[in-house]
Amino acid sequence: MWAKTRSRNGRIALFMVGYLLVVLLIALLAAGGLAAGIVAIRAGQGERIVQTVLFALFLQAVFASNIMGFGLNAIFSDTELRRYPVGALDRRLARHLIGIVDPFWFFFLALEFGLAVGISVMGAGSFWRGTSAVLLLFVCNYLFANVVALFVERLMQRKGGAAIMLALILVLSLGPSLIAPVLKKNPAIIPAVVARLQYTPPFGAAAAIIRYDVTAVYGFITIAVWIAGLTLLLILLEKRAPQRQAAASVKMSWESVFDSAGAFFGPRIGPFVGHWLRFYLRNNRTRLMVLISLPLLSFITVRTSERLGPHGLFVAALGTFPMATFMFTSRIAVNQFGYVGGAFRRYLLLPIEPVDIVRSASYASLVLGALMLPVVLLAWIAFAPGPFDARMLIMLACSGITGLLVFNALGIWITLFNPRRGKYNSSFGNDLSLGGNIVVIGGLISAFFVPAALYRAWPEAVSPDFWWMILPLPLLAAALYIGSLQAAGPVFTARREQLLAVVEGKA
Amino acid sequence: MDAIRLTNVVKKYGPVVAVENLSLSVRAGTMFGFLGPNGSGKSTTIGCMTGLLDPSSGQIEILGQRFDADSAAIKRRIGVMPETLGLFEPLYAHEFLAFVARMFGLDETTTRRRVTELLDALELKDTSKTLSEYSTGMRKRVAFAAAVIHSPEVLFLDEPFESIDPAGVSLMKQWLRRFTDQGRTVFITSHVLETVERICTEVAIITQPGKLVWQGDINVLQHNGQHFDSLEALFLHLTGERSADLNWL
Repeated sequence: MWAKTRSRNGRIALFMVGYLLVVLLIALLAAGGLAAGIVAIRAGQGERIVQTVLFALFLQAVFASNIMGFGLNAIFSDTELRRYPVGALDRRLARHLIGIVDPFWFFFLALEFGLAVGISVMGAGSFWRGTSAVLLLFVCNYLFANVVALFVERLMQRKGGAAIMLALILVLSLGPSLIAPVLKKNPAIIPAVVARLQYTPPFGAAAAIIRYDVTAVYGFITIAVWIAGLTLLLILLEKRAPQRQAAASVKMSWESVFDSAGAFFGPRIGPFVGHWLRFYLRNNRTRLMVLISLPLLSFITVRTSERLGPHGLFVAALGTFPMATFMFTSRIAVNQFGYVGGAFRRYLLLPIEPVDIVRSASYASLVLGALMLPVVLLAWIAFAPGPFDARMLIMLACSGITGLLVFNALGIWITLFNPRRGKYNSSFGNDLSLGGNIVVIGGLISAFFVPAALYRAWPEAVSPDFWWMILPLPLLAAALYIGSLQAAGPVFTARREQLLAVVEGKA
Repeated sequence: MDAIRLTNVVKKYGPVVAVENLSLSVRAGTMFGFLGPNGSGKSTTIGCMTGLLDPSSGQIEILGQRFDADSAAIKRRIGVMPETLGLFEPLYAHEFLAFVARMFGLDETTTRRRVTELLDALELKDTSKTLSEYSTGMRKRVAFAAAVIHSPEVLFLDEPFESIDPAGVSLMKQWLRRFTDQGRTVFITSHVLETVERICTEVAIITQPGKLVWQGDINVLQHNGQHFDSLEALFLHLTGERSADLNWL
């Protein structure tokens, strides 16, 4: 870890992480978990609320780490550590001890610890027992997220893995919507389900925190068994060598869909756009996100619509359509050169204008995002309830195009001013710069909340009756995108040496 | 005619001087060796000559053209094998070479023919591996192929022979000789002085920070009236021989 903090940026980052961690801990302990614990006891449903909160936190940590990439950054790989005279066990311990001290996991620990403190403040549980349970749950959560990440990575490396992954995602995203009506119809099933959940780590921790009888001991045993099982599983998965996807022998092919698509951009930059399309779609993370994004966005649309009243589905879709156009390309689009490493040098040696280097990468992201638009529009026509309304379709298309252009315009600027060296092959971990994170996560949050906020504050803006109001938005977004492309050329020329230093890991 | 001409070139990184007032000229048709100890500024100088880096001051002319005038036009006439190789890891060798050829404006027929011939000649026919799975020597051969695929007039090779097996080096040397026989220029940096001595006709030696201390014909290894038997002897004389007695080693 010290190796990573010896640079000036590393020290600043370390200071900021430390500072944020303290602030987060204080704020969250005071406002979050603690309050939840107190409310739980006052409501007279202490155990049920603690179970629900811990279970929700556990799942959120697993999803956030696997989908957004938080908390799974490996500072050192096993191969890197092999050069030192340490055994396999020490290497594994070193990697995971560094991994678990990620601020992301402390965020969840702080919330859970606050909850345990709240319970003990109200006299409903022992402080030390609660702390021990929460610490064990924290370890268990980290292990679980890592097992899921490794499982997905290994699955994606197998032939047919993508199809299995898609099926799993569909089950996970559609499962709750299918199960909810069944539970409503048969409430008698609920106690049986809850009884099964007793064997999960969050329920075990809840019992250990709040119970005084033998159930508390069972709670500890439950988490300990999970930790042991997950550790074994993790070791097993780590020991399994990743499979190569490439066939034993590949026929040399000259015609490719990437080059054909790139050819639309003319002979000057066509090969370059084709190259970028290939670069995007050979990336495991991008392919995984293509699979994840549609079911995930459908789920988000349906869930958000439930809180938005009669036109809720349409309003929610106005937010999720732009997400669909940039979600799966976002990682590379905001850090176009961060994943090419030493090959960035090659771009500068090619006989093209500097602006074309930025343009071609951005066009590739734009093309891929735009391809998603007809898919989601067709999905809307096929699955949206109610009669077909062309006005809605126009509004959704405008929303998608606006999101696509604005995001890619911002992506150009983040690429130029806040790049970061990343690992092309890593399927997990958040390796974006601060600017990249702000644009990607900020973009997702904006797309999520802006239509809902407009619906409440200015309903006409999201009403099909006033469909024409949205028409200027794609035009403004196009102006922003074109302006960004034009301005990017001189900026790229001026900053190319800094970019070279960053992407080659010399800055 | 000079294929390469550097006049008082200075390159600074903040307060650090990487190249100091370097003036150099290389005649067309020369196999030119550019030597210096580690960190003396060889790669930085090549970076400036190939348009990767902007010199802080001074002037660089390649084939009579200055980089600031029309960099794309000059880049079309030069080939570069950078020290870092500059390969796109997720691509297969033929995809990478075809991409480079197309970017240099080669038509499709020529692209396919040259890629196939280069892959055959350099024994890179294993199409089951992407570049990230190649050995260092194979990666170096791919980078060499990418540098020559458009048949440039000036070729810059930064440490081209390290990690390549003797047969590969021998083949590359044959090509380079034919290259200069046709009046084209090769600019090589290398730490393998024996190889430089055998293939280069002219040599320049720089010391830290990018300061030219010797330039001349490989057959006339003289400095201040003193004659040297080998390039290594001259190099060590100019850059300073080092010795350290590590008793524990």
